[in-house]
Amino acid sequence: MAEPKGGCFGRVLEVDLTRQKVTTRKISDELCQTYIGGAGMGGHLLASNLKANHDPFAEDAPIYIGAGPLNGTYCVSTRTSFANKSPYTGLMSHAEVGAHFGNEIKWAGWDGILIKGRSKKPVYLFINDDKVQFRDAQKMWGKDTATADDMILAELKDPYVRTAVIGPGGENKVPYAAVIVERFRAAARTSTGCLMGDKKLKGIALKGSKAVPVVDNKKFYPAAVAAKQLAVDKEGWQGIKRWGTAGLLELKHWGTGSLITKNFQTTWYPDIEYIGAEEARRRFWRKHTACNHCPVHCMKIGVIREGKYAGLIAEGPEYETGGLLGSNLGLSDFEGMMACIELCDAMGLDAISTGGALAFTTECLEKGVLTPADLGGMSLEWGEADGYYEMIKKIALQEGKAGKLLAQGVKKMSEQIGKDSDKFACVVKGKELAAHDPRGDKARTYSYTLGTCGGDHHEGTSPATLARWGMLNSMVMCSFVGGYPWGKETPGVFTAMLNPLCGWKMSGDDFWAAGKRILTQERVFNVREGLSRKDDTLPYRMMNEKLPEGPKKGAVVTSAEMKKMQDETYAYFGWDDNGVPTEKTLKALGLDYLIDDVREAKKRL
Amino acid sequence: MERDEKKLPDVLEKETTRRSFLKGAAVAAAGGAVALATSGTATPSLAEAAEPRKKPALKYLFAERQNCTGCRACEYACSVYHTGVVRPSMSKVHVMKYKGVIDVPVICWHCDDAPCIESCPTTPKAIQKDPDTNGIILDEKICLGAKCMKCQEACPARFIRANPDTGQPLFCDLCGGDPECVKACAAQSGNPQGPCLMANKMGFGVNQAYRNVTPEEAGEDLLALLFYPNKTGERR
Repeated sequence: MAEPKGGCFGRVLEVDLTRQKVTTRKISDELCQTYIGGAGMGGHLLASNLKANHDPFAEDAPIYIGAGPLNGTYCVSTRTSFANKSPYTGLMSHAEVGAHFGNEIKWAGWDGILIKGRSKKPVYLFINDDKVQFRDAQKMWGKDTATADDMILAELKDPYVRTAVIGPGGENKVPYAAVIVERFRAAARTSTGCLMGDKKLKGIALKGSKAVPVVDNKKFYPAAVAAKQLAVDKEGWQGIKRWGTAGLLELKHWGTGSLITKNFQTTWYPDIEYIGAEEARRRFWRKHTACNHCPVHCMKIGVIREGKYAGLIAEGPEYETGGLLGSNLGLSDFEGMMACIELCDAMGLDAISTGGALAFTTECLEKGVLTPADLGGMSLEWGEADGYYEMIKKIALQEGKAGKLLAQGVKKMSEQIGKDSDKFACVVKGKELAAHDPRGDKARTYSYTLGTCGGDHHEGTSPATLARWGMLNSMVMCSFVGGYPWGKETPGVFTAMLNPLCGWKMSGDDFWAAGKRILTQERVFNVREGLSRKDDTLPYRMMNEKLPEGPKKGAVVTSAEMKKMQDETYAYFGWDDNGVPTEKTLKALGLDYLIDDVREAKKRL
Repeated sequence: MERDEKKLPDVLEKETTRRSFLKGAAVAAAGGAVALATSGTATPSLAEAAEPRKKPALKYLFAERQNCTGCRACEYACSVYHTGVVRPSMSKVHVMKYKGVIDVPVICWHCDDAPCIESCPTTPKAIQKDPDTNGIILDEKICLGAKCMKCQEACPARFIRANPDTGQPLFCDLCGGDPECVKACAAQSGNPQGPCLMANKMGFGVNQAYRNVTPEEAGEDLLALLFYPNKTGERR
């Protein structure tokens, strides 16, 4: 068991919240090469330590917050991966988030943080290099994420500390609660916020002073510079640099015909001009903000200048937040939309699932399968931002009939409501879809249905990109920078950095094998939970209702298309006809330790 | 109009123009940039050709604070140049996040009166200014390190940090005249806003005022400037 030579420290910080103790878990170089880091390493720690049907709320249920080998190095725009068994879907899940948090983990001398146990009183962690403190968070409990962030920085008297906190949503265990990193970035789609709330962990503050060891700096440095230049030169990212992902709101309306509108009823939404990027530039944006070392600075922060929310500072709209909490709710009120987006950040809620639940409820009311009486007298209407704003608060606090109902998420709501509401419940594997309508953007179906997390827009658009994204999430790199080289540059641009950094001899084939291994390991975890081909599919609406208007008018994802995508993916990864990894595949990928689990799981399928 | 535009590049084009001008006139850099802008292109190219090429003499670093995106490319470039690896804790330029919203570049302004040098208790002084570049140089053998840190207290910009390994203060040496942070900032700026860090173009005079602003005050200023154009105030 060799220690890593570069890139990784070979140390994971294990935190036991019950006993308020920390230990160091050694990670060997072989393990780093096999699972890379980030989501891949998190997946391994989860799959190898948890048995099937492990209770996600059990005291020993882990949260892994992982950095990858590239974090903290000269490489551009590296991220943080949050991996855990999601209490929302019951599946392995991971979320990657930008900002500086992941780098700070590395600079503190760790590859990741593994959190277990449950504290009796609210605490937050302060990690400063090797020093770890459990600090009292009782006065921050109940506070929104921005306030908690401010309070932690004030208490630690150090503005250079980086934070990840939960809001009231996580504290009240809303199953789709998010962790908000450095005030505006959300690690949202894994329910990590809910788990942290269950563990009474308000947040994590981090600061590091070390450097990531590099084996061969003479080779690594130019490779990282070249990878960065690739991102600077690509014209597409100049657009993201200028407009953020908000620019896609207009694009997906006019161009690709995949802008979700009113709970996926259509993709044609002319009112986008009132809530899109151009409007944001005109009346909202004040500042561009970048993640570490990133030339793209896709994050735009602005201030609401008029109306009842005047003076409110918020981030966005991004494509997902503007889609889910804008066009999906039929809003043309820019200030109202921004207030809703900011409220999701402040309350620590996943804006995608929240927007999905709000839109689903509105359609239920419209169709009469729900009445205001079911919502304790509240009502929602397309385009009425105030109602949505109030409802988001209720969800975060799980307050009243309405708050309790919507906090369950669309899948459970639909099961409870019945009356054919599953026909317009837009969920995959229990999770709300993001803002790309798969009828207009068919390649997105791979990500939604065949990715690990379910309903996730960011996992690939073909079998090979699924594997590549597995690697991106493990290295851990942003797809806006690392993701651009779709074609011939992958995997060379990555191996050129990883090899001199870590002292590895990873070939292009090894790169793809690692991607397949990471995805297959996650797949086995989910197969153990009972997942198979039947779950890898889009909801009823996408496969039966044709898009009524817009550039992709008439489009629908047919079951033949769906089957083709499944078959392609299973074949690419070496999974059987039911989407279960074969023994041959597991052996070839070095995942022998999961063979017995798969045998067991197959009996239950 | 057309003629003016055509002329413009000539003025700005060559760094050699500035260098020979500065050298010839032997002025303090404080007035240099203004004089250059008004004196035009008259400087002959003959002298330029005769001169051996050397690094431009930089006098000040300047931060256009509202252009900072918080990407920390400056910290990366600085620590790579000085230590070989990325290590922001060793960087001689910092980016401070203020209230999660504002990014404040925290730099050494290379003040003419240099309170840090003034405060240094050793004889001879451990802190010196490079006469060519105006960079601040620390003599690590003389510096008393963690037990002194008088310079840190004296710095009106609250710029000075301690080296995490030795405890001695970190100073900006302007990379010997060609600051890496300025190049790094320029390389990824420009769409839609210009760079934050600049060298010797804007630093005359105003740096004496800028340096009296602490990072927190600068953050508060920027918050007011960018986000509270009216007094309606915060929600929370």
